[in-house]
Amino acid sequence: MKAAITVLAVAALATVPLWLRDPYLLNALITTGIFIIGAMSLNLLLGFTGQLSLGHIAFFGIGAYVSALTSLGFDIGLPGGARLVHEPWPPIVGLALAILVAGLCGYFVGLLSFRVRGAYFVIVTISFAEVVRLVALNWVELTQGPLALTNIPSIALPLAGFGELTLRTKLQNYYLVLVVGLVAYLLIARLVHSHFGRAMRGLMENETLAVSVGIDVTKTLTLAAVISAAIAGAAGSLYAHYIRIIDPEVFAFINTVTMVIMVISGGKGSLSGPGVGGLIFGLLPVALRPIMAPEAQWIAYGGVLMAILFVLPRGIVPSLAQRLVRRRSGAAALAPVALAETGVKKGA
Amino acid sequence: MTRALGLVPAMAVATALFGGAAAAQTIKIGVNEPLTGAFAASGTYVVNGAKIAADEINAKGGILGKKIELVIEDNKSNPTEAAAVAEKLITSDKVPVLMGAWGSSLTLAVMPKLMEYETAMVVETSSSGKITTTGNPFIFRISPPSAVEAAAFKGIVDKLALKKVDFLVINNDWGRGTAEDFSKMMKDKGIGIGLVETMDQGAQDMSAQLSKIKSSDSETVIVTTAVDQLTLIFKQAAALGLKKRIITTGGSQNPDQIIAQAGAAANGTMHLTTFLPWFPDKTPNPEATNYFISEWKKRGFEFAGCTESFRGYDGIRTAAAAIEKAGKAEPAAIKAAFWDIDVKGLNGDIVFRKSGPEGKESGQSQPNVYLIEINDGKVAMKAL
Amino acid sequence: MNEFLQHLVNMLVLGGTYALLGIGLTLIFGIMNVVNFTHGVLYTFGAYVMFIVVQQLGLNFFLALPVAVLAGWLLGAAIELTLLRPLRGSDIDTTMLVMIGAWIAMQSGTLWIWGGVAKSVAAPFPEAPLVLGPVSVSWLRLFVLAAAALLILVTYLLINRTSLGRAMRATFQDQDTASLMGVNVDLIYTSTFAIGSSLAAAAGALLGPVYVIFPQMGDLAAVKAFAIVILGGLGNITGAVVGGFILALAEELGAGYVSSGYRDAMGFLIIIAVLIFRPTGLFARAERVG
Repeated sequence: MKAAITVLAVAALATVPLWLRDPYLLNALITTGIFIIGAMSLNLLLGFTGQLSLGHIAFFGIGAYVSALTSLGFDIGLPGGARLVHEPWPPIVGLALAILVAGLCGYFVGLLSFRVRGAYFVIVTISFAEVVRLVALNWVELTQGPLALTNIPSIALPLAGFGELTLRTKLQNYYLVLVVGLVAYLLIARLVHSHFGRAMRGLMENETLAVSVGIDVTKTLTLAAVISAAIAGAAGSLYAHYIRIIDPEVFAFINTVTMVIMVISGGKGSLSGPGVGGLIFGLLPVALRPIMAPEAQWIAYGGVLMAILFVLPRGIVPSLAQRLVRRRSGAAALAPVALAETGVKKGA
Repeated sequence: MTRALGLVPAMAVATALFGGAAAAQTIKIGVNEPLTGAFAASGTYVVNGAKIAADEINAKGGILGKKIELVIEDNKSNPTEAAAVAEKLITSDKVPVLMGAWGSSLTLAVMPKLMEYETAMVVETSSSGKITTTGNPFIFRISPPSAVEAAAFKGIVDKLALKKVDFLVINNDWGRGTAEDFSKMMKDKGIGIGLVETMDQGAQDMSAQLSKIKSSDSETVIVTTAVDQLTLIFKQAAALGLKKRIITTGGSQNPDQIIAQAGAAANGTMHLTTFLPWFPDKTPNPEATNYFISEWKKRGFEFAGCTESFRGYDGIRTAAAAIEKAGKAEPAAIKAAFWDIDVKGLNGDIVFRKSGPEGKESGQSQPNVYLIEINDGKVAMKAL
Repeated sequence: MNEFLQHLVNMLVLGGTYALLGIGLTLIFGIMNVVNFTHGVLYTFGAYVMFIVVQQLGLNFFLALPVAVLAGWLLGAAIELTLLRPLRGSDIDTTMLVMIGAWIAMQSGTLWIWGGVAKSVAAPFPEAPLVLGPVSVSWLRLFVLAAAALLILVTYLLINRTSLGRAMRATFQDQDTASLMGVNVDLIYTSTFAIGSSLAAAAGALLGPVYVIFPQMGDLAAVKAFAIVILGGLGNITGAVVGGFILALAEELGAGYVSSGYRDAMGFLIIIAVLIFRPTGLFARAERVG
């Protein structure tokens, strides 16, 4: 049942460009899709380990910068007068490096997350994102700081024996984002259903118990952070090559907030939550734009957010799933919905 | 999941219904400005200036026998949104020409879209050098990049007898560009360059930077930032007893707002500006300036906003002139026509010169630059 | 040396305002466990109340301050009653997101009503600064420092010397036990949020005249307030005060002697460093408020 809905949803998303010809709406879907990938990665951390990262945009931005700089090249001075010159590489290599470098940064933040929990972890991640933003802003020689990196090339797929295919059109980019999103979804789904996933959940629900049954807390949290950051880095790379200009604004706090909204409104700890929340809050501004004043659009955006949480406090997917289960079985579903949905038993 | 999916087509239909229905009886000009977010105040001023231009043109019968219609969209001070707005204006609203997008990062984000849809945009405020040097032939800029401003300041420098200057600039393309271009120009003139301090866009307390500048051996500080931070800097400099000569650059200083908010702290400061609403007779086009200012006041806007909004006014008149010259409201014809127009702008003749790599040059006009001084709470032309 | 002295004076003045921002938030965060994204909005609100009372109604500056505090108290109580009370018992992330929604809506409302153009409030202090040898400081900033110190003291006494304060501390330690002992937990939550909000509004009312007033002014203030609270330890008023001064010192010295571009990075680097070595803040006394 669950799998069938997922397959149907993906199939439906795959047909969108066939009937939706409006480039503006396709563009909105592509940028929303990129942020949904970021939100899915945030969900891995928040929904499955309980650690809230309010600096998640750092990994996204690092991915964007790594990918852009790989494909644009740079020339920086090193201490001692030497120079590090990098000639442009294909953007697809940039995507790979973005995943790698963002994952590496995730490793260090993950190490921290073992020591620092809850609100303190929130602030560490905010601080990390701010420091990274300020480095991007002030290390002008590498990042061009506020002057922005421009003319970032589009991603080109190498085709064996047939040269390469540069993804310039919206249609191509839509499918690129869809494919990357699907890969991220499957990766996260697999993780969550694995032994490792059970360890993460166990940890979130009862750490003492989890430790006593032999879960390696550091390893679990670090690995979750690495994978989460790597996926966010991939999303950042897609962003850089699609928008084709990045500047330190990419690290803006509001971008993290957007991802957090997508995850929690959709339902943290639910695989499809970020997708559902993401589509709603990614497309809500598009729907509001023609019908009200700019300030009113934001007020309505905040209002819809609050309303959803008042009606469905656990997020859309878990709350609706719970109601569905309740109606069907005629009894209150006591099991946490996130678990019911993914079919994972509580504890390790 | 299925339920959320149902929303997508519903939204598409809603957008098509609300956004698509427009009569072909008008000629549209897309306006892509920040109306919410960090730059909301400035973007709103520019839009108000743009509306005055549109109403004026329509009152005189429009262009090519049709009225012009501004399609105004909010880019939320966000580069991603700025690109999306450009996409909407060009593909859904079918505007043949745009004006925007205030901040440089916003404009830079729009530029790939202009290439994609081969539609020209009048850049009314952005100052980053990159906008006109990276080879985007759809860019026509009427605001001066900092290099142009520095070149204009060159003639004034000698008369001010500067010896050594410090810089305090906003940490973005505008501030950084100004520090770089002005330093270069001044070094050529044999003027010493001291500290180059930056401040974050939203920063409210610049005491630390000002304390450092207070202890330096320069006699002049060049300050580049928007009006709100300027006000704070004047107040805080006065509180710290900083006695150096302060010269601001950038042309969006709003001296009236500074006088109103910084009071005596603003006295003795000098400002490099591109528009003189206080002395309409000294502007290149006194008649238009007087009309614009009286219209601005008639609509009940703050006089202080003039120094920002005039660029919206000039921008729309520039776009309208290009449409008229083209003889039809088609993107390619309008783009070509930009090269042939000569608009009497409020701050100089708007004539585009080629800038950037050969074969794909952007257009850049050369506005006038003036130095004004605040004395006893009044704006005065600096006598040189 | 003279420059260093000036930096120290700046640090004192700035640190006082940071401390004021921090204590309101640390109460709410510590006692209610709410990641309060409306704190910055309340700060902005206090500044706009000041603007309305002083500039638009033409009333006395010193009269406007208590008005702003009262208005902040009322708005805080209203937010607690309408948005937080119905969600009591919900997940911390859910209430945080509701607060984010309220932040977005209220900030946009401010923009809608007053526009984005910055406002300023005239303060009845001499424009010429107080000069003491090589350092100088404005009279307004000195007044703000004194007022902040007074508010911090009042809050400290309220928490430590009144029955309301005792009930708040009891709730912080153990909500269920407090409830069993006859503490009206609902009332405590509303009071806590209202007091924290009124302190934020007071900070805005004091700093609005120092800086300029615009709809997004609270964003940066809120981020700094969060940092200060975490630096000092959740629910710890003394910690928030010390944290405020540490942050101010780091920024002053960072901008003065390292690089002004990294001014704000200094504070965040200190936070990261502190949390690596003391994961629950400098003054971790998680079992106490006060």
